[in-house]
Amino acid sequence: MKKYYLFLSLIALLISSCEKDDFCIEPITPNMIVRFYNATNIAETKAVTDLTVNPNDLDSIYINVSIDSIVIPLDVTSNQIIYNFSSGTNVDILTIDYEIEEVFVSRSCGFKAIFNNVTVTSDVSNDWIIGLTETLENTITIPTIDDESAAHIQIFH
Amino acid sequence: MSQQRIFKFFIKTCFLVVFVSASAQQKNDSIPKDSIIYKTNYGLRLGLDISKPIRSLLQDYNSGLEIVGDYRISKKWYAAAELGNEKFTSNEDFTNSTSKGSYIKIGLNYNSYNNWLDMNNEIFIGFRYGFATFEQRLNSYQINTSNPLLPAQFNTTPSTENGLTAHWSELLVGFRAEIYTNIFISFSGSYKIMVSITDPVNFKTHYAPGFNRVYTSNTGFGFNYTISYLIPFRKK
Repeated sequence: MKKYYLFLSLIALLISSCEKDDFCIEPITPNMIVRFYNATNIAETKAVTDLTVNPNDLDSIYINVSIDSIVIPLDVTSNQIIYNFSSGTNVDILTIDYEIEEVFVSRSCGFKAIFNNVTVTSDVSNDWIIGLTETLENTITIPTIDDESAAHIQIFH
Repeated sequence: MSQQRIFKFFIKTCFLVVFVSASAQQKNDSIPKDSIIYKTNYGLRLGLDISKPIRSLLQDYNSGLEIVGDYRISKKWYAAAELGNEKFTSNEDFTNSTSKGSYIKIGLNYNSYNNWLDMNNEIFIGFRYGFATFEQRLNSYQINTSNPLLPAQFNTTPSTENGLTAHWSELLVGFRAEIYTNIFISFSGSYKIMVSITDPVNFKTHYAPGFNRVYTSNTGFGFNYTISYLIPFRKK
């Protein structure tokens, strides 16, 4: 009987060692979260009407939506990505420069990228975007984008 | 009729009581020994894990060799060791890496099986301490972005981390049968708990030789099929 208990406990151990290894549940490469604010009252969010967002030469991520926050991916094969932000027919160009750091996550998730020294620059034409900081400047640098827990940049319009 | 039965029962019970008490008193008296003593071989048993060469043939990115040995130190106890070399490629969704290295395991086996006559079979439980020294090469990887619009490219520049080590403890159960005089086949399964392991910088050891796949909670398991030959030193 004693032998049985030992054998059974070993089987139990074997079963308990089957784990969540095969499913990627940890956060992977973060996207950039952009929040739109009212340029005349910087404390309040303001939805953009007819917003279309697309990376240069690529398909749109958002088409004609009215929304006050968006999630856009950065390109991990390059150190720069250029986005066209359109509100109706007004187009503003945002250039995002960054350094990529590869971080190992887990067996099933592999590596993720995190982005350091992210500089976002809005073109000076100021079609509808007025500024990227509370003082309405056209450029902002964020030290790192390593998660999606909060908005990374604010756009005042 | 029924009175006779009761009487018989009473007599039998008396006999039983007398017999039990008598045998209890006689316990320390010399019992004549069985004149035939069945002796079994003691010695050094050497063998090979046959699962590893078969796996080498079936999967060309894996190869391995394991020499197993044990020495019988008493009726029930065996000192046991395994020595091996292994190469294994872990192919995951976003990474592909190869571990290569050598290991040694030393420990004890306890045979819990009571053999008939001069048979020499085992149902054993055992404990091992294992140590491996190995390298792990990251062959290729792809950054995990959940994004079809801007897909990541495969990076195929390999990077190797040498001098990795692992220490672990292992609990095993198995069966061993003497199929021919002094020739044994055995099957055993083991559960392993990592004591310490070094991971490559900004990566993880996915496979340690001897330990097999390293699960997230630093546990692992393995199976062994062996054929071994006993070099008999003496009979006892």
